[in-house]
Amino acid sequence: MSGHRIAAITRRLLQQFRHDRRTLALLFVAPLVILGLLGYLIRGGTSAPDVGIANQDQGPVGATIASALEKSSRIHTVTINPADGDAKLKDGSLIAYIVFPAGFSQLAQQGTIAPEIHLEGSQPGVQAPVLQALQDALTSVAASAIRFQPSVTYLYGGQNLDQLDYFGAAFIGLILFFLVFVVTIVSFLRERSQGTLERLMASPLRRGEIVVGYMIGFTILALVQAVEVLLFSLYVLKVHNQGNVLLIFGFEVLMALSAVNLGIFLSMFARTEFQAVQFIPLVIVPQVLLSGILFPVSTEPTPLQYVSDVLPLTYAVNGLRDVMLKGADLTWPALQLDVGVVAGFCVLVIFAGIGTLRRRVA
Amino acid sequence: MSEAYAVDVDNVVKSFGTMRALDGVTLRVRQGEIYGLLGPNGSGKTTLIRAIVGLVAPDSGTVTALGHRIPDLNILSSVGYMTQAAALYPDISVEENLRFFAAISGADSNVDEVLKVVELEQRRKSVVATLSGGMRQRCSLACALVHRPRLLLLDEPTVGVDPQLRVQFWEHFRDMAAAGTTILVSSHVMDEAERCQRLGLIRFGKLLGEGTPNEVRAAAGTNNLEEAFLKLSGRAGE
Repeated sequence: MSGHRIAAITRRLLQQFRHDRRTLALLFVAPLVILGLLGYLIRGGTSAPDVGIANQDQGPVGATIASALEKSSRIHTVTINPADGDAKLKDGSLIAYIVFPAGFSQLAQQGTIAPEIHLEGSQPGVQAPVLQALQDALTSVAASAIRFQPSVTYLYGGQNLDQLDYFGAAFIGLILFFLVFVVTIVSFLRERSQGTLERLMASPLRRGEIVVGYMIGFTILALVQAVEVLLFSLYVLKVHNQGNVLLIFGFEVLMALSAVNLGIFLSMFARTEFQAVQFIPLVIVPQVLLSGILFPVSTEPTPLQYVSDVLPLTYAVNGLRDVMLKGADLTWPALQLDVGVVAGFCVLVIFAGIGTLRRRVA
Repeated sequence: MSEAYAVDVDNVVKSFGTMRALDGVTLRVRQGEIYGLLGPNGSGKTTLIRAIVGLVAPDSGTVTALGHRIPDLNILSSVGYMTQAAALYPDISVEENLRFFAAISGADSNVDEVLKVVELEQRRKSVVATLSGGMRQRCSLACALVHRPRLLLLDEPTVGVDPQLRVQFWEHFRDMAAAGTTILVSSHVMDEAERCQRLGLIRFGKLLGEGTPNEVRAAAGTNNLEEAFLKLSGRAGE
């Protein structure tokens, strides 16, 4: 190993990026766009869907519930004629309508509360707030009769924790892994397709020097990106962080190293840059689906849990969440496992990368 | 003994699948010699050159370069290899390419000197992607020269280079040879063949004949090298 030759590879990579503004933009602007969008989606406030209310009850209960619904922030209510209801669902002006039929109060006094709820039905996600709002309204009406006072405590985080805190912790690692992987696999493949790899192989460079040179170059870029993403997440998006920032950074270093070497390794199996891009749905998407970023691993069907358990990204995501949401440190056995698996994967792909780079191309 | 030859290829066989690219080639190039490898496309010239730098492992036979049995990483710092297509980094400048190839060879570099040879001094700061095809070819040659190699392997180096500059290239090759550099150059351009000290005709992975341009002409019984080449390579087909 010659430091001089490794430095030459690293220097050349950084020069290439200095000239290539578009790739720089991909590396440094794309993460902010993705995270910013995610933040705005989750925290930007949702618009309440329109729900029609038709009160045909002669008694007081229907009116009480209707006025409770009006106050709900989850939905926006409109008074309608029940005969028009279905037509309004069809033309899309309403997402649901609720009818309190004649004799609703009398039935309620007998212990049966039976509002009629008509849902549009094709958008599962939008129905939930309607039913939730109705339940809240019923509870508030019932609460005047009985006391309902559960006492709730949180082990970690708390009431203020929202979806962005949960997803943000995972996305910080995922974005870095994904972008560094794509950039490495493409630039390494270009090295093959433009014939320069042949030249490198006909020089005194050793395989390990090429891989280490690449690793240092991309890791430098990845770390700059990691600092940027972390600052943006913590100070602009204000993603909850309970743990040590250096620990988060350490995770990102490991993920960057893994992504670079995975890229070098997989570039062996593609002939063109076009084929390389096709590795994204093959390698990245299943990992995103199964690593617990979107759906917690514990809620997956059992066979898929086995798959999740062998994906390195599962441990990275888990580790980042433990640090940021629970304030985990290296004395926690769970975090030791996460760090161990991610570091192990990193070493594995480094050797896989060096192994596939055969000197003799034929 | 082997030190007398800069390149010593001994009975090398190499097949790719069912295709026999090299079929028992034996070839010796003396130190300081300019040796021209002639042959039609697909005759095995490139495979032979790649075997000499160690990019192709022979199925049988041996390759020795600069006194070392190939593959040997350590002698590669003394070898300059110019591939057929200009293998350069398109998104960095001419000078950055040169400095990179100099650095990985670990030799002292002569960036300014080679830029002068290939007449790219004015374009040294230009990004390679903006150069014309001929300029890229020149830059590629410069990258093969930048670490002052003792053995220079050139795979069709003057494709796309204008005649005037081609003459200059050959003057430079002669100067380098006179200073002790061994040059093995593949070509199918006959006026280039004329400038080589010795020629080898290669076809179907076999070395069909060898000698100075005059000897080759005499063997074929013609005054024209192109005719001689056609005649000699035609004879093998019979």
